Amino acid sequence: MEVVATPPRTPLWRNVRFRRVLGQVLFMVLVLFLVREVSFNLQFNTAARRQGLGFGFLDSQAGFAISDTPIEYSSTNPVSRAFQVGFWNTIRVAGLGIVLTTILGLLLGIARLSPNWLVRKLSQGYVDLIRNTPVAVQVVFWWSAIFLALPRIQESVSIFDVAYVSNRSTVLPWFRLEEGGGIWMLSLAAGLLGAALLWRWRSHVNERTGEPHHRVLWSTSALLAVAALGFFVSGTPMEADVPDLLGRNYLGGVRLSSEFAALLIALVIYTAAFIAEIVRGSIQAISRGQHEAAEALGLRRGQQLRFVILPQALRIAIPAINSQYLNLMKNSSLGVLIGFYELTRVSKSIITGRGNNLQVLLMTMGVYLAISLTISLFMNLINRAVTTRGVR
Amino acid sequence: MKRPASEEGYELTLGEPEGPAAQVAPEAVPATPGEWVRKNLFSSFWSGMLTVVTALLAAWILAKAIGFVFVDADWSVLKANLRVYMVGRFPLEEMWRVWTDVYVIALLAGLSRGVQPAMPWTLRRVVRWALILGVAVAVLLYLVESSRVLIMLAAAVALMVAGAAIGRRLGRVLRKPLIFAWILAFPFVVILLRGFGGVKPENWGGFLLNVIVAVVAIFVSFPIGLLLALGRRSTLPVVRTFSVGFIEFIRGVPLVTLLIFGVFAFELLLPPGLRLPNIVLAMIMFVVFSSAYVAEIVRGGLQGVPEGQYEASRALGLRYPRMMRSIVLPQALRNTIPSMISHFISLFKDTSLLVGVGLFSDLLSNAGRATRDLAFVGLEAEALLPAAFMFWAVAYAMARWSQRVEKRVGVGER
Amino acid sequence: MTMAQEGNGPMILAEDVEKWFGKFQALKGVTTSVRRGEVVVIVGPSGSGKSTFIRTINRLERHDKGRIVVDGIELTDDLRNIERVRSEIGMVFQSFNLFPHLTVGDNITLAPRNVRHWPKGKAQEKADQLLQRVGIPEQADKYPAQLSGGQQQRVAIARALAMEPKIMLFDEPTSALDPEMIKEVLEVMLELARSDMTLVVITHEIGFAKEVADRVLFFDEGTIVEEGPPAEFFSNPKHERSKRFLDQILV
Repeated sequence: MEVVATPPRTPLWRNVRFRRVLGQVLFMVLVLFLVREVSFNLQFNTAARRQGLGFGFLDSQAGFAISDTPIEYSSTNPVSRAFQVGFWNTIRVAGLGIVLTTILGLLLGIARLSPNWLVRKLSQGYVDLIRNTPVAVQVVFWWSAIFLALPRIQESVSIFDVAYVSNRSTVLPWFRLEEGGGIWMLSLAAGLLGAALLWRWRSHVNERTGEPHHRVLWSTSALLAVAALGFFVSGTPMEADVPDLLGRNYLGGVRLSSEFAALLIALVIYTAAFIAEIVRGSIQAISRGQHEAAEALGLRRGQQLRFVILPQALRIAIPAINSQYLNLMKNSSLGVLIGFYELTRVSKSIITGRGNNLQVLLMTMGVYLAISLTISLFMNLINRAVTTRGVR
Repeated sequence: MKRPASEEGYELTLGEPEGPAAQVAPEAVPATPGEWVRKNLFSSFWSGMLTVVTALLAAWILAKAIGFVFVDADWSVLKANLRVYMVGRFPLEEMWRVWTDVYVIALLAGLSRGVQPAMPWTLRRVVRWALILGVAVAVLLYLVESSRVLIMLAAAVALMVAGAAIGRRLGRVLRKPLIFAWILAFPFVVILLRGFGGVKPENWGGFLLNVIVAVVAIFVSFPIGLLLALGRRSTLPVVRTFSVGFIEFIRGVPLVTLLIFGVFAFELLLPPGLRLPNIVLAMIMFVVFSSAYVAEIVRGGLQGVPEGQYEASRALGLRYPRMMRSIVLPQALRNTIPSMISHFISLFKDTSLLVGVGLFSDLLSNAGRATRDLAFVGLEAEALLPAAFMFWAVAYAMARWSQRVEKRVGVGER
Repeated sequence: MTMAQEGNGPMILAEDVEKWFGKFQALKGVTTSVRRGEVVVIVGPSGSGKSTFIRTINRLERHDKGRIVVDGIELTDDLRNIERVRSEIGMVFQSFNLFPHLTVGDNITLAPRNVRHWPKGKAQEKADQLLQRVGIPEQADKYPAQLSGGQQQRVAIARALAMEPKIMLFDEPTSALDPEMIKEVLEVMLELARSDMTLVVITHEIGFAKEVADRVLFFDEGTIVEEGPPAEFFSNPKHERSKRFLDQILV
């Protein structure tokens, strides 16, 4: 049988595998070259401006004050402490913002789907208005046109005498934990445990006998009962903390600076418009065939939603909502526009009059990146939990 | 066909919810107004209550808004700063450049509109346009004091209408040339401002600056984003790692911090002696920011191209560049059009973040500073609302246009 | 003395070809040869490696061990060899894989113009000829989406033929078609088989195999279990596995 003898060695430049390796090597060379160039520039430039490339500045005095801070801080604290203030302020506004905007967004999304024409149209108007206006504009607007325009503390606007707003701050009623609070917390923990156990027990009953489990009912009533019992047994340890206006100051309650309130409200309102559309879009994306199949099976409206529509809608919605949470967190950087000392504002203060811009800003961006990754990780877990039940 | 989720979800569109969500209002065959009201507003007791409550709320808000706009507000801050809002400190004697750009865009816009099939003039449409035009004319007459400016504006509108008429006449023949014209228009617009002894970017301001920054950013970031997307899909691990790393870093960081970095730290990385004006540094950051998002959009589009297309191309012996150019990218990029438009709208809105650096004179910065003048203290709302409106109007118009494009592209003969 | 003379050796030669996907071995030593002008039909259960095998012939998959020689050209990592091999082979896919954004005519002329650098006129003439040959003349300006499945597959065949290959590979060409359109595609393939084209066809269409195949290869679990002329194989399979397979598909 006539067959080909061993072919000659492929010249390297025609060998597909070699070319792949070569491609990577060339790319690496390019990157390394760029890195070398940049580091030369960096060294030269920082020397010329008599700046350093170290992180020693973190221990130097910050030299600026921050009035709205969740941790102890004064202008004599080191820069690293100022950074922490910025970080916690970012977490504060982003965390609260995410919770509030989810609630508002859900409500709006449901309104977008309402059979009532007026509700539908008005919520659509809200979405169309808010989504298309830049968030920076909205933040500046809420702060300078609304909060700053409020009267001074002495003439605070009172809301049913339990809350006050002025141009510097907003005070809301809160609660205070007194003696016996610890005992109550323990009883709450026990209640949660009991509720969880009840949940499992009712689920088992349902699996075995087919009896409707009513587990939500059982668990929540048990939790509430235990909570109430514990509350009284430990001597009603929760007191309402209603603020009072005394001349030029407030007594009691929880105090939010105008900057914080303006940023929070603007972010919540802005992001809710996007979440509303995600909610609406994901429910509408479920094809008619699914509705029909569920109905044909005899499932009631609520059951259709619970077992067929919502699980599928969630699968579509969660990645998009994750995106919005990240946006809200990143938009918290707009505190820099209105003097709210979140991370970006703090970093700006740090670089003014100091010479370590590069380090400061890279650190700042690094922190944001870390927070982004954390939120995404968390949302991914939720996504996994929601979607691995059943097919993709 | 799965579309990549845009950052802001614009493809979950405006307008009437379509689709079969059973909760949406029943299909229309409303006989009489009375029936319609009963079905849509008062279908049940609770629905009725809801209608009443929201109607009252809406009426109250509307009354407050109208009261503010027409009675309480002092619009002098706007009247005095109109030019600053629109073009910042752009020198008066060079304004002809801006006007020329406006005319070119107006003409192209008119032509593009004319080439599209005409939409029927329903009563609703006539009323809507009459209202918009009426209000626009009234507002302009109130605000603009120079009759010269009014005439130039009228000329722009006339040019647009003429363009539409020409477009309608010439029809589909213009489609391809128009695409090229638009692509060339953007560099042209920018060059006209700067070139031939023009105005330096430091002196561009106001709304003009926002538009230019957005346009430059989207333009320059597109090829970079495309390369990044291809890099991300590359089978060469080094290339892919680098692309992914870059994209994820940019996406995890707020744009404001990138801008601050660009203006206050980026120069340290550049060759010594290369001094770039702040606005150019900011534009570079916008380009960097935008390319990461463009990369993700293109990646989604590439994922939408079936594997079989690659296989058929390779089986036919097509090489990589030819395969990408003729087969993969045309399909991939068509998939991305709605998301790209959505991204452009976001980018345009994000140009307002220039205010965060504090050194620029874009529309929002100028609006914010307008009340520093002693004459206009306390007029923050009057200063900000027009700026907000201008951003909103452009974004809203583009979003609606995007809806139309989506319909057209989705239903092609292809 | 490194290349076999054309016209002498087998058209396709596979020796001990092995292929892994990760830990899974898809091809466990496949050896066969296809003569010039021969029509070989490959049958076998899904997952048996038949698709993987023909895709290694035109390098859509890279074989990990063994040798593949096409018309005297050995298939190695040499870019030039790969391109030369591909230019001699045309492939038709189960899901057609037509380019949806190009007209039928452009689908067919794209490769000749860009790989063989034919002038436009020549390519278009060829396209018209081929469309005539596969039985759908006058469709050059339509888009794939406007054609039926059977027509699309015939366009795909014309597209592959436009490169004037010596070998045509078919990967289950009719499996994605509605029953009433299978015949028109098989007829085109029949005409090709009767010309002196070398064909390797993966199919479940036994009638087609019986009519035109010179040889049937039965693939199972990564190897050729049995082969022979169709008449023998279908009526008198020798292996246990062949018998079982035929029981399943022949009702």
